[in-house]
Amino acid sequence: MNGVRMRQVAAVFRLEWRRTTLSKRAWWIYLLAAAPVLIALMHWVTMRGARLSHSVGEDSVIYAGLFLFLFLRGTIFFGCVGMFSGLFRGEMLEKTLHYALLTPVRREILVAGKYLAALAASLALFVPSAALTYLMLGRHFGPAWTDYLMNGPGLSQLGYYALVAALACVGYGAVFLLCGLLFRNPMIAAAVVWVWENLNPFLPSFLKKISIIFYLRSLCPVDVPAPPPFSIMAIETNPAPAWLAVAGLLAMAALLLVYAAVDARRAEIDYGE
Amino acid sequence: MAVYKKTYRPYDGPLTPAWRRVAVIPRYAFDDLRRSRFLSLFFLASFIYPVICTLLIYVQHNASALELLNIRNASQLISINATFFLSLLGWQSVMALFLAAFVGPGQISPDLVNNGLSLYLARPFTRLEYAAGKASVLVVLMSLMTWVPGLLLFGLQGYLEGSGWAGANIRFAAGLFFGAWVWILLLSALALAVSAWVKWKPVAGALLFVIFFVSAAFGTAMNAVQRSNWGYLADISYLVGSVWVRLFEGGARTTSGAVFFRVPIGAELPLWQCCAVLILLFALCLYLLARRIRGVEVAR
Repeated sequence: MNGVRMRQVAAVFRLEWRRTTLSKRAWWIYLLAAAPVLIALMHWVTMRGARLSHSVGEDSVIYAGLFLFLFLRGTIFFGCVGMFSGLFRGEMLEKTLHYALLTPVRREILVAGKYLAALAASLALFVPSAALTYLMLGRHFGPAWTDYLMNGPGLSQLGYYALVAALACVGYGAVFLLCGLLFRNPMIAAAVVWVWENLNPFLPSFLKKISIIFYLRSLCPVDVPAPPPFSIMAIETNPAPAWLAVAGLLAMAALLLVYAAVDARRAEIDYGE
Repeated sequence: MAVYKKTYRPYDGPLTPAWRRVAVIPRYAFDDLRRSRFLSLFFLASFIYPVICTLLIYVQHNASALELLNIRNASQLISINATFFLSLLGWQSVMALFLAAFVGPGQISPDLVNNGLSLYLARPFTRLEYAAGKASVLVVLMSLMTWVPGLLLFGLQGYLEGSGWAGANIRFAAGLFFGAWVWILLLSALALAVSAWVKWKPVAGALLFVIFFVSAAFGTAMNAVQRSNWGYLADISYLVGSVWVRLFEGGARTTSGAVFFRVPIGAELPLWQCCAVLILLFALCLYLLARRIRGVEVAR
């Protein structure tokens, strides 16, 4: 990519960054990112100085469940729906997309700039949220927690959770950017993706692999089995190797973005639709 | 005619009777919805579960069908009890949530975005009638999905079972009717409030899912982290499920609620607390709605 293209991507990035982040309209996404931190903060405050009835290990398993059910299936998923599906569809509804399309910028650059801006915003929100929640959840253990982080598996787990949160933003971001481009109402597509992702534990092995959550779960350092009564319906499958999960997710995101760029080249505006 | 003679003259044609004015909004809204192929298909697909339930009830009472399936004891096939009707209500209510997420956001936000609200309220049409008209679209559709098929199935089971089954199990009918109304009223108020405050339709739809599903995950996470049950107060599905279980089973609980609206046995919160939170949520939605539905606009 030559210098001009890079500058164009940076310009689109700056514009979109200002539009998607720090806007009043995104209040609910900030709330989503803050909710798990608030739970961990409450745990820290209420357990500090209290007689503890649980161990560091138990809290790490609790975090694994919280990460899977609240972060991956809740806050990050819906946060990405809000941030990425609006990149094109939002401008369409506000009748401002033609300004972007009339500039002497290739559509692929527009897609790349918008995606990178929303990705940066989602990473800035959800990765620190996951890390802060992890760090605060066991903070009330004091030195034992520090020891768990420094000499135990704590830091490595934290790294994995941060990586999984980042990859979730990359993967879901690409999916919902494409949904925003392809569908008039990206909510319908998002609902279908959500149902598919939540059905994942109950799907046969080969179908499990056609999802994002399968690869994200494979990277999680602590496994969380499906809770009863759903556990009897869950089908066990070997997790994907870490290299395959990371490379596969990045490749899938790249493919979706390429398709989005190709689709954006053909895109025409009809505000009256 | 001279220009100075073109003064204001009020409309002197026939007026729509006041009691029928509220039906104007749903009439046009239903026309719009009928044009959406996806919504029509989704609405039809939402009756798959009641049809399956009808077949189950029918098969259980049909001797030749049972013979064909080689089942000697009909009760082995499936029990038509509180769990059966709670599952029906739970499943249909989630379908209603999806419908509300698709239909609800389009109710008020377009009027606000396009400054159309003053056009409504300039007519002999109150704010309450406007809100009731918009809500009626959701209420009618969700009623057709929840308590109407529920009561029809109850009637079918009562007819086929005979010998006073319906009278002995009238609690199920009451549970279906009132339980569905709790959900319908709450969901309608939520959908309209979100539609009034979030101008972008897809985001408003996503917010409805967030409120329902993320609040459930948030509540469960809070319970797990704090080792308590208080997190359930943030879980709308639990709160509604608690009301349903009481309606269906009274004080003697045997089930853990409906599908998607689970109330685990041993993790109950006092019913009055659940009702209080639901009423608070409903009141908050009405307040938010009242704040937005106004015939004036302050331009800054």
